[in-house]
Amino acid sequence: MKIFKVIKTLVSTNRIATLEHKPLLVVTDKEGGTPQVAVDPVGCTPGDWVVCVGSSAARDASGVKGYPSDLTIVGIIDKWEPPA
Amino acid sequence: MMIHQVQETLVMTRRLENVGQQSLKVLNSVNGDTVVAMDPIGVKPGDWIFTIANSAARTAAGDEKLLTDLTIAGIIDRSSCDFLSA
Repeated sequence: MKIFKVIKTLVSTNRIATLEHKPLLVVTDKEGGTPQVAVDPVGCTPGDWVVCVGSSAARDASGVKGYPSDLTIVGIIDKWEPPA
Repeated sequence: MMIHQVQETLVMTRRLENVGQQSLKVLNSVNGDTVVAMDPIGVKPGDWIFTIANSAARTAAGDEKLLTDLTIAGIIDRSSCDFLSA
């Protein structure tokens, strides 16, 4: 699992059917880091620090069997200061 | 399996149900990365540990339903920590 910061909501109207209508968020591991896309079954807001899972846990975390995700948010961290 | 050093316990009140109530730990990798792992053992900050990744992590956590891709598998004894930097 890795720690990410939520940047913003990702809008994608034309997507594969198996992705359904689940919210997608742009997340980054550090300030100015590479942005990645994560599925959000929790309900996060921009600025939240979150924990994401990968691997087969990412598919199951979305709540749908066989969901095609390799990065899914599983929780919001109460308090996190990123290392300098 | 990867070697990490425990940094601190992570408090995460709002979490998916299947993450369970197991403790989560912030770990520092040997290469400097920061990662989060599920802790079925009970490790302390400063301990050197090794972890199991990917889907085997769910088996290691004790329940295939638990949502994790990294689980702490064991604490490295002080006596065999000599190859790790302090």
